[in-house]
Amino acid sequence: MAQWIPADVPIMVEVSEPKAFLGPLLSPELGKSVTAAVENGKTNPKLQQFQAVVAVLEQQLGTDWRTGLRRLAGKGLSFCVGPSGATLLTADGEDEKLLSKLNDIIWQFASSGADQQNQPETADSREYRGVKTWKLGTNEVHTLLGPRLVLGNRMSFLHQVLDLRADAGGRILASSPLFKAAHDAVGKDAVASVFLNLRTLRETPGLKKALEEDGNPVTALLLADTKAALRNASWLALGAYVSGDKLILKTYTDGAAPEASKWTSFSTPPGASAGLLPPLTVPGTIASLSLYRDLHSFYAAKDALFPERTSGLIFFENMMGIFFSGIDLTEGVLSEVRSDVRVVVAKQQYDPAIGTPATQVPAFAAVLRLKEPQRFGETVEEAWQKAIGLANFTRGQQALPGLIIDKANQDGVNYTISYYRPPADNSSGTVDSRYNFRPSLARPGDYVILSSTDALARDLINAVKQAPSTPAKTPLAANSLMEVEGPALSAILEANREQMVRKNMVDKGDSREKAESDIQVLLAALGHLEHATLTLRRDAGQPQAQLEIRFR
Amino acid sequence: MKPDPNDPAWAWAPFQPDGARPWDLRLAAHLYRRAAFGGTWPELQRSLSEGPQATIDRLVHPTPEAAAFNRLYDDYENAAAASAGDGSQAWWLRRMIESPQPLQEQVTLFWHNHFGISNVHVKASASVCRYIQVLRQHGLGRFEALLDAVLAQPAVWICLGARDNGKRNLSDSSIRILMDHYTLGPGSCSDTDAREGARALTGWIISQGELRFVPGEYDATPKKILGQEGDCDRKALVRILATHPATGQWLARQLVRWFISDTAKPSESLLAPLAKQLMSEGNIAKGVEVVLRSNLFFSTEAYRQKVRSPVALALGIIRPLEGRTGTVQLAADLSRLGQELYEPPTIKGWAVGLAWINPLTTLGRAKLAEALLAESGAYGGKLDPAAVASRHNIPANDGGRQFLVDLFLQGDLAPESVAALAAGGSATGSIDARSADLRHVAARLASLPEFQLA
Repeated sequence: MAQWIPADVPIMVEVSEPKAFLGPLLSPELGKSVTAAVENGKTNPKLQQFQAVVAVLEQQLGTDWRTGLRRLAGKGLSFCVGPSGATLLTADGEDEKLLSKLNDIIWQFASSGADQQNQPETADSREYRGVKTWKLGTNEVHTLLGPRLVLGNRMSFLHQVLDLRADAGGRILASSPLFKAAHDAVGKDAVASVFLNLRTLRETPGLKKALEEDGNPVTALLLADTKAALRNASWLALGAYVSGDKLILKTYTDGAAPEASKWTSFSTPPGASAGLLPPLTVPGTIASLSLYRDLHSFYAAKDALFPERTSGLIFFENMMGIFFSGIDLTEGVLSEVRSDVRVVVAKQQYDPAIGTPATQVPAFAAVLRLKEPQRFGETVEEAWQKAIGLANFTRGQQALPGLIIDKANQDGVNYTISYYRPPADNSSGTVDSRYNFRPSLARPGDYVILSSTDALARDLINAVKQAPSTPAKTPLAANSLMEVEGPALSAILEANREQMVRKNMVDKGDSREKAESDIQVLLAALGHLEHATLTLRRDAGQPQAQLEIRFR
Repeated sequence: MKPDPNDPAWAWAPFQPDGARPWDLRLAAHLYRRAAFGGTWPELQRSLSEGPQATIDRLVHPTPEAAAFNRLYDDYENAAAASAGDGSQAWWLRRMIESPQPLQEQVTLFWHNHFGISNVHVKASASVCRYIQVLRQHGLGRFEALLDAVLAQPAVWICLGARDNGKRNLSDSSIRILMDHYTLGPGSCSDTDAREGARALTGWIISQGELRFVPGEYDATPKKILGQEGDCDRKALVRILATHPATGQWLARQLVRWFISDTAKPSESLLAPLAKQLMSEGNIAKGVEVVLRSNLFFSTEAYRQKVRSPVALALGIIRPLEGRTGTVQLAADLSRLGQELYEPPTIKGWAVGLAWINPLTTLGRAKLAEALLAESGAYGGKLDPAAVASRHNIPANDGGRQFLVDLFLQGDLAPESVAALAAGGSATGSIDARSADLRHVAARLASLPEFQLA
């Protein structure tokens, strides 16, 4: 299709094998779940209207919508965004007759509607370069080229495409060096691809702002050199591949951050033997993240990475100065920490005597390793206890209940826990959100576990004992690996369903019925996710992201 | 002869439309703006056919579904407050939009402004949320019950700087707030009364976020407050203050400022009948009813004599257009315009009237109107004037523009604004073009100086 598309389109999406790519999305199981969710939201008039239109089309075309869609678009789909917001969608099918019949039905419906409203100009049909084109309303134009449907929102853009098809001159996307480079990088195995011309898109205010150095230390730590590379890139491509039961999405770009720069120095594993450790898993894991980040190098480059001295940063440094008794944060604290940083998020169990808060916050923990635990371990313990003490002091100032600090033992490992007393009176049935937290610190071996709950700290004590200390089998030079467990993610979202509905109501202004329907559709769709893995790596200086998704 | 607005007998007599002051769309919309943040087209039409007194009956008396609605929204707000977010303000805004008894929300906002309790000092949304619910529960009841319930709220004590009261009295400034601003009005009590009043409040302490009474800390020696002697505790102090004639006079003045005019300086004699009503019935609803039914309320002294607060401005767009919008974003935008619910800037509430308007807020108000009515963006295009016009079968001969003028400004549009609006042309073509045009027109109308006045 790129042969007919003008060279200056900044966004081009191609799905060369829709059945492979959309298979999981069009699966009867997912369809049933979503349909059931939609059924629950029958009060939504727009959904009812949509369902009614689909039912009429199914009857008149003599096929169900899923089969019809495969026959109309089974051979390929493409979508591009042209200048000034013009868009174009093409669908290549295998049934020219069915497409023609569908067009007749829609045209008949639209033209009679336009006549009824006394606005005949809103439904129009004309010939251009020997091809019949249709215009329905103000934002819909289309033409049929054999079994191919070409659908857009501007007639001028459709004419431009028909000019290129008629070989009437003009540069085409397929011959653009940037598109060709992106196309080659994605390769022929891809079942779908996305091309972004960053030279053009970088000028749009939204992306320009997103790629700016925002001075946020957390963003800088997590994304490492990604933003720096994209600022230098001419193009960004995404390839989708199917391997067995997995859908794999990979990004490619020609941009790179300068080698051994402030952006790469803290996130480049020195070699395979010191690379990324496998993510940790515990019972009820929702997500697990493993990062290679040299925190000492990162903070030593802070003046270059996030030069702005924000109030938040000053507060953070002041607090760290208090917790670590004035030890220099970069040279005295972060230099004691190894480069493997792991984060675990897991479902938590609540004390039945207290009850479950309305909003269930999953337990989360950071797992670090110390270079010299014998020497520095107690300094960390002291800092942690000061932090809890300060939190208690601040809450006391606000007349709020504080945390009680206690010691416990798990499998020979002493660890420190803190918890809130049960409420004196819980007859109201409302459990305060503070009961989501029982902050704990454990130091098994050279590990430091900072956990939001004691249960997760105990699980992690067990997990690190069994965890290998050799790098994970990840792509070479990977610096970030995140795994998400679909069923556990669905479970925690399900547990927070009511809160999500309410949030939707005040965020979007939806009615309760509409919010319930939207959340039901989301949960039904997420319920089909089995497992997802996201990897960030650097390939020849260029950042690459890979997302593997396995559906149930 | 032109009636005298300073004549109490005329001012508080129930309004009866006549040839000089007919019951028309302007007055119906005026009533809905002040009592309900704005009226929908069907509400205004029904009011036109029923007349003012029947409309006020409906506005003042709770509908059967109001109790269940309030229970549901109490639950929404409590849960949002317990979840450590600021969502309870968003829920209150949504409650104002959806409430079947909007006058109750208007009065709750009045008391929120009157008592001026701010979460900036309390730092506990759940506590402020409970306090607001008390204002709602008692806001139209007896003032003594309201004051008693308010003084049982930890948020109030924290805001008055009395986390640990004990035998140490409330500070001079705090007791003065209670007597000079909450009840009697300025200059109605002596320093001795204030000191004795503070002694009546000893023994109450804030512990773990709750208000507790510690008998050993209470100063039980006899006190003399405003001429009344005895072992006066908190309950007795509330009774003395709530039933004092000066309190009636002060509350009457506050009600007139809130419901009638920002700028009026009513005389004591004008306020006296209303004050007497408030005291004798002891029922705030009766006082509000007297105000809303009165000649004064429908007079030129009241009509468009209030500057809309940011909340009233936003709801004055949303409610007439029968829409719902995301209120989290709305709460943030209203805060930028100077009105953050739960956080009045001082214990005396917001500086109302012309203080709402300056070059920055004028621009901000126009931008808020534009954002609320935009087809997409932060508010998701939820307000659709064309759909409202279509729902009520408004003839589309001018694209629906006159309908919007009637809904938003009735006959109060300046001639130059009418000309400017007409010069803009109208879109009578496709449904999409008409919808976009009406969104644009509605945003322009809501940005006009006339619309800033309630």
